[in-house]
Amino acid sequence: MGRVSDYSFINAKLRARIGIMHDPQLVDSMIKAPSLTEAVAKLDGTRYQQLSEVYRATGDLQQVELALLESEIANYREVMGYLPQSSSSFVSVLLEKVEIDNIKNAIRLWYSANVMHHSISYRSAYIYKSLIVHPINYDAIINAGTYSDLAAAFHGTPYSGVLSAFTFDSLAASGLFPLEIALDHKWFSDLESAIGKLSGKDRQIAEAIYSVDVDLKNILMITRYSYSYHLDAEHLASVIIPMGYIAKEIERRKAALSDDPVAVIREIIAFRYPQIIEEIAHIRRTSDDLTTVEENNREIVRIEEYLGERRKKEYNRILTGDPFTIGVVLSYFFICSSEESVIRAVLSGKYYRWSEDKIRERLGL
Amino acid sequence: MSMFTRKMRMLTAVVLEKDRDNVVKALLEKGVMEFVHIDSLPADKMHKLSAHSSEVPKAVLSDMRIRVETLMREGGIRIPELDKKDIEELPKLDIDDYRRTLDKLTLSLQSVRDNQKAINQDINSISEIIRYAEEKKEEYLDLRVGVNTHGSSSDLLQRLKMVGGIFLFDRKPFISLTLRRDSQRITDAMDKFGWTESTDADAQKSAEGEAVAAAKAWIESSKSDLDKLSKDAALKIGERESELRSMWISLRIHELCEHVESYFSYTKNTTLFSGWVPEDDSESVESIIYSVTGGRCIVEWTNADEVPREEVPVEMTSPKIFRPFERMVQNYSTPEYGSINPTPFTAIAYLCMFALMFADLGQGFILLLVGIIGTSIYKKNPMKKDGIISRYLCNLLLYLGPASMFGGLLFGSCFGFSLIPALWFNFDAVVEGETVGGIIQDIYDILGITIRFGIIVIFLGLVLNWINLIRKRRFYELIFDKNGLVGGALYALGIWFAWGFVGSGYKTFPSSWFMMPVLVSALVIILLKEPVGFVIKKVRKEDAGSIGHLVMSTIMEFLVEVLEIFSSFLSNTLSFMRVAGLGIAHASLMAAFYDMADMPGNIIAKILIMILGNVLVIVLEGLSAGIQSLRLNYYEFFTKYFTGHGIAFRPVGLRSKVVSD
Repeated sequence: MGRVSDYSFINAKLRARIGIMHDPQLVDSMIKAPSLTEAVAKLDGTRYQQLSEVYRATGDLQQVELALLESEIANYREVMGYLPQSSSSFVSVLLEKVEIDNIKNAIRLWYSANVMHHSISYRSAYIYKSLIVHPINYDAIINAGTYSDLAAAFHGTPYSGVLSAFTFDSLAASGLFPLEIALDHKWFSDLESAIGKLSGKDRQIAEAIYSVDVDLKNILMITRYSYSYHLDAEHLASVIIPMGYIAKEIERRKAALSDDPVAVIREIIAFRYPQIIEEIAHIRRTSDDLTTVEENNREIVRIEEYLGERRKKEYNRILTGDPFTIGVVLSYFFICSSEESVIRAVLSGKYYRWSEDKIRERLGL
Repeated sequence: MSMFTRKMRMLTAVVLEKDRDNVVKALLEKGVMEFVHIDSLPADKMHKLSAHSSEVPKAVLSDMRIRVETLMREGGIRIPELDKKDIEELPKLDIDDYRRTLDKLTLSLQSVRDNQKAINQDINSISEIIRYAEEKKEEYLDLRVGVNTHGSSSDLLQRLKMVGGIFLFDRKPFISLTLRRDSQRITDAMDKFGWTESTDADAQKSAEGEAVAAAKAWIESSKSDLDKLSKDAALKIGERESELRSMWISLRIHELCEHVESYFSYTKNTTLFSGWVPEDDSESVESIIYSVTGGRCIVEWTNADEVPREEVPVEMTSPKIFRPFERMVQNYSTPEYGSINPTPFTAIAYLCMFALMFADLGQGFILLLVGIIGTSIYKKNPMKKDGIISRYLCNLLLYLGPASMFGGLLFGSCFGFSLIPALWFNFDAVVEGETVGGIIQDIYDILGITIRFGIIVIFLGLVLNWINLIRKRRFYELIFDKNGLVGGALYALGIWFAWGFVGSGYKTFPSSWFMMPVLVSALVIILLKEPVGFVIKKVRKEDAGSIGHLVMSTIMEFLVEVLEIFSSFLSNTLSFMRVAGLGIAHASLMAAFYDMADMPGNIIAKILIMILGNVLVIVLEGLSAGIQSLRLNYYEFFTKYFTGHGIAFRPVGLRSKVVSD
């Protein structure tokens, strides 16, 4: 009875929205539109109408992206308002991911101004500065003159610990990648503990979704990383998200990893995700873990497609299953974010005047 | 208007290839034909026919037409409606020229957007400085007041502008208000021009305020520039209105022609096509074909009864007055070809239900007013998008308002007050338990009225079903189905029985000579349903199954059918009590607001509470009554006779909304 009363309203509400959301014709017509202006105009009369109004008023695609982010955050907040405490806290952790991405963007601006010595002028206006989950002083981040000023901007927030593990010199030497990875790891650790706090069926559903998500993200990380470096145990430990099957197996076979990391990792992935290994084998022309840029890009696209397909299947399964769980909420967010990222990608493709084919290829359509 | 769906005939025509274009245009102009692919010809004849090959593929025409429409909407230009003149004066299709024009227009539009973007970025940049100044976040700002000792001040200004900030160089000392994060770049630029800070304390003190004030003024003017540019974009397109309109007309007509021709088949010199035409238009269609081909054609007609019923498209011809209700029917489904058109019955049933549930002269008048105002607003602004009160709702309110007013007159209710004498009985007084004369004494009597109304509606549904079944010559279903004669007989018996029981004050069951014979005959007929079906299948040499299967299915069908007849008719009838329930809720709510209005003892508060109460009741009860009326029509009325197995007739004409393959 508890689950029914907790989820009956939100289930009905979100299913009704899902029913009218998925419009493949919208994306297709946007891709076919010969110019950015015409692509944006296709959003008229859809739930993204506000974006076309912003574009008409400003002509600025980044302003449109900010409006999209604002509506995404408002969407999370609205759903949280209809959920019981435990599920609402879980969704709040999902919203934290949006916050972390926003923080990354702000730090990138700081990095651009202070490390690269580039002018960031108007670009700070595209950072969402209101409260997302935690009170972050984005002005302080963007205007920080030194790394300690930057770290100080995070005092009193859960991200303070992550920032304090880095220095100006370390970022100047190795770029923002390690800091961004550390922020992601922090989020995954929060996610793991939030899943643990969910009750029975909700926990099962969240675990099923996110364990595969984390595995595939780890595979992506390994693939990306293998393009730049020869894999070694030390590097791996620093990039792998310490969750899911892949991370656990890598930890378990740590000793074997130092001898032939590529073979061990391939074996680990092949055991749980044989299809990915098969696809990568098709793409690669050499057995070396160092790949060409083109091979690496194709691998990444393919793994992302696989991740998208897995998620789609999983969420479709959830939508046809028990309606009184957090599953419908997660499915709704997945559909929203998929649609939004497609729209973002199409608009930016149009901005860069990519061909229809190139946009479709990038979207895996 | 016909009580049944419109009669159809299928035309098959052969015309000479050279007459093809004229035939297509004439048929488009007439717009009464739904084309079908010719795929039922014998294979040996089919292979001699070739498919249509077009100069410009339909997809290209559609894409370009959509592109023109996008630009027209961007420029606030209404999409034109095609008429006969457009076909006669059809401009030559020049796709490359159209593409060039559209590209040019898009490019100029894009350059407007780029200008807007540049202004927006400047606004963003300056707004950040103003915000910090207003929020007293001085630590993020870098204020400099001084002059350059060498070089040109305008060159210095140029350099500084590249970094970004507020610069007042039309006075001395100059003011530069920038972000501290850019201070290194500002210093570098200023050093090159020998910047010297002013020692004038007053100038230093007032500099920030002056800079912010100037920046605010600049932002205001930039915002109006932005707004002007946004309007310019629409104007730029508006300037090409006639060009875009003629382009759209040409593309649309060619697209429609392509669509029609895609159904055509060809031999070397002839064109063959086929399609459904309403019977009453068949003569005019035939004469059009003869006229445009100069008699060089062969036209053949196939009557609808020679084709399987489910393949014949269905069109309902309801008078204009019933149009909003036709949409209700279409939302449910399309009736089967040759069956009764449910629209007039739906309209009457819906309005009666609404009038009983929402009976109030004053509130009905408000609904009517909303309908009239909404309709006229939409008429004046055809491009206006549908809001919560959509075009359709406004249209419907033009009917629901008077229905509610009529109900109000019957029951003497106006804005919840008994201001007018009731033509029938005072509903509000009965709900409040007051003694009123006449046959209606209490709310049970009101419930009784609605149950009687339900019985009439259900019986009407059954009679319509019987008429449909007779027309379709489905006599087996007519006799044996639960909505057939046997179901009707049992329902009538049940009503008679219940009436007698209630009439005796719930003390004795009625009895009469016809009760047992009718009951037993009906049960025997239900029992015979499966065996008779078995025999019919055997006679038709269809797979009838084994005798064992027949015995089992006879018993199971009998039990299920009897149970279903009793439970479904009972629940369908009782379902109409909601009509009384909603009416009672309406009266009770108004009475509650009436009592609440008396509480403050202040005339203004009383009026306000009554206005608020009426608004709430109109919105909530009105919505509720509308939805419940629809529900009763869909579930209690339509299920009795409306099979919904039809396919809608979609003729292709100049005003066809959608053209799909």
